Amino acid sequence: MASVRSVILAAAALLAAATPPPGPGSPSPPADAAPPTAAAAEPVAGPSYDDDASLPAHADNVVDYTLRATLDPVAHAVHGEGTITWRNTSTTPVRELWLHLYLNAFKNEKSAFLRERVGGRGSTTPEDWGWIDVHRFVVRAKDTVPVDEWPNAERTRPGDEDETDARVPLPREIAPGEALQIDVAFDDKLPVVVERTGYRGSFHMVGQWFPKIARLETDGRWAHFPFHHLAEFYADYGTYDVTLDVPEGFTIGATGPVIERSFAGGRMVERHVQADVHDFAWTAWDRWLAARETIDGVDVTLLYPRGFRSVASRDLAAIRFALPYFSGRYGRYPYRVLTVVHPQDDVSEAGGMEYPTLITSEGQWLTPPFVYVPEIVAVHELGHQWFYGLVGTNELAWPFLDEGLNQAAEVDAMGKWHGAGSAADVLGLKVGDAELQTVPGNGRAHDEPVAQPADTFTTGGNYGALVYSRTAALLETLRRVYGDEPVGRALGRYARQYRFQHPGPEQLLSVIEEVLGARVAGTLRAALFDKGWVDFEVEQVRSRETTQPAGVFDTGGKRDTVQSGKGGSGGFDNGALVRRRGSLVFPVDIALTMADGTTRIERWDGEGEARRLAWHDAVALRGVVVDPDDRVLVDQNPQNNHASALDEGGGAPRTLERVTYFMQLLLQALGP
Amino acid sequence: MSPRAEASELVLLTTQAMRARRHPGVVALLWAWQSALAVLVAWPAASLALATYGDGTAGDGALWASGSRGLLDFVTRNGPGLRAVAGGALAVLLFAAVVGLVPMAATLTALAHATRDRRSVGLAPALGEGLRLFPAMALLLAVASVAQGLTLGFGAAAGAVVEAWVHASLGEARAQQLEGLVLLSFLGLASVIGVAHDLARVAVVRFQVRGWRGVLLGARVLRIAPLSACWSWAWRGAASLLPVVAAAWVTGHLGGRTGTPLVAVFVLHQAVVVSRVALRTSWLACALRTVDTTLRRAF
Repeated sequence: MASVRSVILAAAALLAAATPPPGPGSPSPPADAAPPTAAAAEPVAGPSYDDDASLPAHADNVVDYTLRATLDPVAHAVHGEGTITWRNTSTTPVRELWLHLYLNAFKNEKSAFLRERVGGRGSTTPEDWGWIDVHRFVVRAKDTVPVDEWPNAERTRPGDEDETDARVPLPREIAPGEALQIDVAFDDKLPVVVERTGYRGSFHMVGQWFPKIARLETDGRWAHFPFHHLAEFYADYGTYDVTLDVPEGFTIGATGPVIERSFAGGRMVERHVQADVHDFAWTAWDRWLAARETIDGVDVTLLYPRGFRSVASRDLAAIRFALPYFSGRYGRYPYRVLTVVHPQDDVSEAGGMEYPTLITSEGQWLTPPFVYVPEIVAVHELGHQWFYGLVGTNELAWPFLDEGLNQAAEVDAMGKWHGAGSAADVLGLKVGDAELQTVPGNGRAHDEPVAQPADTFTTGGNYGALVYSRTAALLETLRRVYGDEPVGRALGRYARQYRFQHPGPEQLLSVIEEVLGARVAGTLRAALFDKGWVDFEVEQVRSRETTQPAGVFDTGGKRDTVQSGKGGSGGFDNGALVRRRGSLVFPVDIALTMADGTTRIERWDGEGEARRLAWHDAVALRGVVVDPDDRVLVDQNPQNNHASALDEGGGAPRTLERVTYFMQLLLQALGP
Repeated sequence: MSPRAEASELVLLTTQAMRARRHPGVVALLWAWQSALAVLVAWPAASLALATYGDGTAGDGALWASGSRGLLDFVTRNGPGLRAVAGGALAVLLFAAVVGLVPMAATLTALAHATRDRRSVGLAPALGEGLRLFPAMALLLAVASVAQGLTLGFGAAAGAVVEAWVHASLGEARAQQLEGLVLLSFLGLASVIGVAHDLARVAVVRFQVRGWRGVLLGARVLRIAPLSACWSWAWRGAASLLPVVAAAWVTGHLGGRTGTPLVAVFVLHQAVVVSRVALRTSWLACALRTVDTTLRRAF
């Protein structure tokens, strides 16, 4: 989901006063939901996944959807029907299917989604309700009479009127490996666009619009869950063959390439087919303008409204950089097409979203060129093609594997593209995307773990700060401390090795251990699961001119009294004490600035609670800075990373100069 | 009246003698006044930075390092302190808006008058005159503020109505561009009110009239010579933006975190401030000449 949402959540984190209190009733995952442990994934020797040679060409097709959807743009309704083919890939027989009807999240205020409003987008009451009505769910299994099971479906749970997670009994047990076919018919009423889906005027963005079978884990447990405010994605891979029927004059953007297009009776019909994906979304609007370009062998289509050409072209520039970059770092982008949708601001809730081969960006038509919001959102949403798209992680159980890893990918890519000013670069002020993550992430580090299910976070602010920002800051810290190559290799190996495999945290940590060692993996585990933190501090700095020891000395039968401070030409006794607080261990540099202007770097492996430096030198020590290059972004308090001897600090002349100047300009503008 | 008092009595200059360039001291004093007020705000802000980063060898240079980690952390951790600084800045701005009427009126007095023995008006008599004219100036400020506020408020409302009206048919971007045009036109109108405000101030000083009479005279001058008055104000306004933009560009490239570059940036910034004060003073002198010429001709 959009990094802009993370920015909003981060802003909420910054405004501590505005932080909502912990929600009283965040629902827990259903009892039979897959527990937050690793999905079964084959432990394969890692190094072969450091390039694309071993990359799987296709996912294991578990569920295929062949659907036809007809849009009524006046009633804002979609009629859908078709066939779902599903296969039991678990090791146990199943007697039921779990069906996600996520458009019902917008049906009424008893939905889990609207009960859990945590701030940010999607938190207002929809201007117009949306829902999905299933009319037919005929199950066809071998040697069984087809039967419409929808009347037997359990659409809500006792005491919970959420209608987004339905249980459908099967006419008989379906054995492991056995497949069944389901004929479905349904009608959608779209809401006014809220949290990614809906309409405004003739604009339609259609996501979570069809009955979708939940993922069945290998051990036979269904990973089903209602549409939560902060989590919705987890499904099996398959082929989506979807025919879209819209009024002529509308432009469609959808998952997968167009296979057929025809016009008849004032309607346009497009057939989109895409294999190896786990979702399908589309947009239809009679005002879309389109630009097309081939980037890294992928046909990229950009859809944008009139007047947005300039800002939308920034999306395309971002894709030009990020698509080959992500393909190189995390494994080749496997699809032929990519559609980038840039909605206008009155449907901004549709912006900043990710679906297979279709992403939505955002940014007003007059976005200043030095603030990289469109670029960041486009890079972020593109990154989702890998995290979670191609690895297929469970967003509810482990949101940090989805939004967190993706935020880290975004931060890394933006840094590679725009350098130190990767979020904003104006008049010499360079604000880094990575640095932006440190503030909310470090501010909430003690509150609750990063690695926990999305619906158990106490506030939306904590979810944003910890899942997005802290995960990104942690991985960026590893990259800066241990090097771009090994950390990039580790994340690339994880993304390639577990492509289409639905990995969990243990798979990530095992790859980190393979590449970076047990110490680093342990640090990451502590940071993710145990609220691990660190604060480096320069506690003492001293530099004293070396003098003869003072006192009374008996030498050669003679008693001499040496006065304090006698003999001052023997150089300096320099020393510093640097402390590491907290449970996370990182090696750091300690910069020692001498009175003659030279700087010496001491490397501390970070082990132990403190590092004491003491030496005799011809030159006095002037000041000490721990982590001078800001590598440890998760350092809780960078304000104590420096100290000087003998009150020789640099003062604050620039702040005085700049604030004086700005106030002078303000006074001239507002004064008489 | 003693001969000495008679010699120091203020007399009106001729129209052509009302020139800003003849009063560099006025420009310097206005710069000093603005700088003193600015330092009132900057000092606590710098003290906050000093307490946080001042003891590092790089000093507050760490706040402005690439990536802005220090700056982001500083802003986040020092919220209460920065809110206090912002509160102080607001108080200083309000103070300057009201009390600043005295030096402004003193400036006009100095530009329009000389002593009988042909010397420039001294600081004390000018300030004395400024104090005497304060009630009239305050009235003009209140009237102009209300008029400008209403104009901008109405402009914002009109812009929103236009945007809503054409949003569906033209699309968001075009609709917002039209809204911007509407707002800009009302901003232009508010600027014209600002010009009339200055002309009224000048009339109060030049003709020694009360506030309401000043309003009428200012409006009359604007009615008689709208183009010359507005053009004289507008080109100086536009010209005063140029050094700000140029300085921002130079500063961005220079950095100026510490040492010589910081000194260079300081000098550059103060040159910008002085140039803007000079342009403002030049406009006030021009307004004096315009009022003097126009009303003498009209009467």
